[in-house]
Amino acid sequence: MRSDTTPAIQLVGLQKNFGSTVAVDNLDLEIRQGEFFSMLGPSGSGKTTVLRLIAGFETVSAGQVFLDGQDVTKSAPFDRDVNTVFQDYALFPHMNVIENVAYGLRVRGVGKAERLAAANEALATVQLSALATRKPSELSGGQRQRVALARAIVVRPKVLLLDEPLGALDLKLREQMQIELKDLQRKLGITFIFVTHDQEEALTLSDRVAVFNNGRIEQLGTPRQLYEEPASAFVAGFVGTSNIFATTEAKALVGATSAVSIRPERLQLTKTASVDAGAMSLPGRVTEVIYLGAAARVIVSCQGIPITVLYQFEAGPTPERDSEVFVTLRQADLVSLGN
Amino acid sequence: MRISNSAKWVLGVITGVVLLFIYLPLLVVLANSFNANKNMVWPPPALTTDWWGKAFRSLGLWEAVATSIEVAVASTLIALVLGTLVAMALSRYKFFGRQVVSLLVVLPIALPGIVTGIALNNAFRTILGLQLTMGTVIVAHATFCVVTVYNNVMARLSRMNPNLQDASADLGAGLWTTFRLVTFPQLRSALFAGGLLAFGLSFDEIIVTTFTAGNGVVTLPIWIYNNMFRPGQAPVVNVVAVVLVLSSMIPIYFAQRVSAVQDA
Repeated sequence: MRSDTTPAIQLVGLQKNFGSTVAVDNLDLEIRQGEFFSMLGPSGSGKTTVLRLIAGFETVSAGQVFLDGQDVTKSAPFDRDVNTVFQDYALFPHMNVIENVAYGLRVRGVGKAERLAAANEALATVQLSALATRKPSELSGGQRQRVALARAIVVRPKVLLLDEPLGALDLKLREQMQIELKDLQRKLGITFIFVTHDQEEALTLSDRVAVFNNGRIEQLGTPRQLYEEPASAFVAGFVGTSNIFATTEAKALVGATSAVSIRPERLQLTKTASVDAGAMSLPGRVTEVIYLGAAARVIVSCQGIPITVLYQFEAGPTPERDSEVFVTLRQADLVSLGN
Repeated sequence: MRISNSAKWVLGVITGVVLLFIYLPLLVVLANSFNANKNMVWPPPALTTDWWGKAFRSLGLWEAVATSIEVAVASTLIALVLGTLVAMALSRYKFFGRQVVSLLVVLPIALPGIVTGIALNNAFRTILGLQLTMGTVIVAHATFCVVTVYNNVMARLSRMNPNLQDASADLGAGLWTTFRLVTFPQLRSALFAGGLLAFGLSFDEIIVTTFTAGNGVVTLPIWIYNNMFRPGQAPVVNVVAVVLVLSSMIPIYFAQRVSAVQDA
């Protein structure tokens, strides 16, 4: 039955209503074996609900959940071969670290010596061996995060579900854990489904990303596809920063017939209008210069419409406020967003 | 908070008077248990340990103590099981009438004992057609013992992370295993505190007991009440009172230790 082409997770017509609110709206999705898959979206977009439906904490209103080709729609959480890393970690406060990690094996009836050995190995994977006898309350946020990870991977699930696992960590630690997560996923070779509202995190870690909005997937693709070819104004605005022009603005500025977006780093500031084929220059006035270190974010007003340009310093002297400039772009870099 | 010296002095005196008012009568009881005069003349003309000997040789007294403990243990056990179940159901599920059920569960502790007593007496004898026995006392006590367990467990559950039970199920534990390994350990001290209160409520209950106890079922409070005004028995009652004061210090000590551990 199972082969590498069988999706790790397949969602068919998935629907979840809370009263009159539609949290997940007729969702179809396939997640491949061994994939690092992210569900990205603002809070309330339905991504966490999808995760809880896959784990079995919520029952579906309609549709089916397949795990490794098997219909688990009606299975209880303890009958599904997936494990969850919770946003608040949900470590058992009355058990120490090693007991927490060994829990999944204990309830499966694995003998004490064997389960402690496996738990120790999992703890070593997340570099936490030294803290095996601590209580969760004696650990820092990052350490709890690692215990939660170890506890979930010790039972070797087919799929690991991660619900904003890095949300509670500070920036430095988060960046470090991102690298470790990616590393861990490669080492274990299991499918990771990662829920986040942090687009940078999703882009950095994932093989593929689904962008959620209002219980639906706005766009599904590789990080590069999402970034370079956003399918809608929502995706263009949510993934990275974009200049998004509504149809009337697009018409006035670049003569396009639909809404378009363009990334700030694809724009250049020039003193004169470009004459190159395929390029166009828009005259404007600098209204704001924000120093970013490696570059500057320059806001230029063209026909009263603000355009953000990421300005690299090597390209010449920093433009000054109120100076007259041209915003030059290649028409190929314009992404049509449809109507 | 800083308070002036005169305020400190006044508050100190008030506190002292209140404590004196509570504990002086208990000390009088203690003294009277050694009072050689059987009419308890004050001050005691002479001291004796006769009453203590008499108390310990009184068969009726010992039987009453045993009955009370039996009733209290049984009704506490019933309360622990039912109170926990109700609290878990009401905290986990939202359903129509949830508030009403919650109110109805808590109500018995606010009802006057005389009402509960008459109501249960009628229900047992005329509607259910039962003989009043020790069993009817146990059931009657359980109606209000449930409340203390329910309140304690409810408070604990509301502070407990609901993800813990999800996490346990996620890791492969069935419902019973999750309760045994995750939920129950979280509830343990709440059950202890609730059970202790329930035991105490049952142990000194007299009104409901009077209406629901069968012939020959004599709990300690009833025994004391019966003997208080019998000639020559009052000093023995004093002995029982002293022993009860001393033994009630034990659960209070434990209860305070449990809450101290939780605050730490």
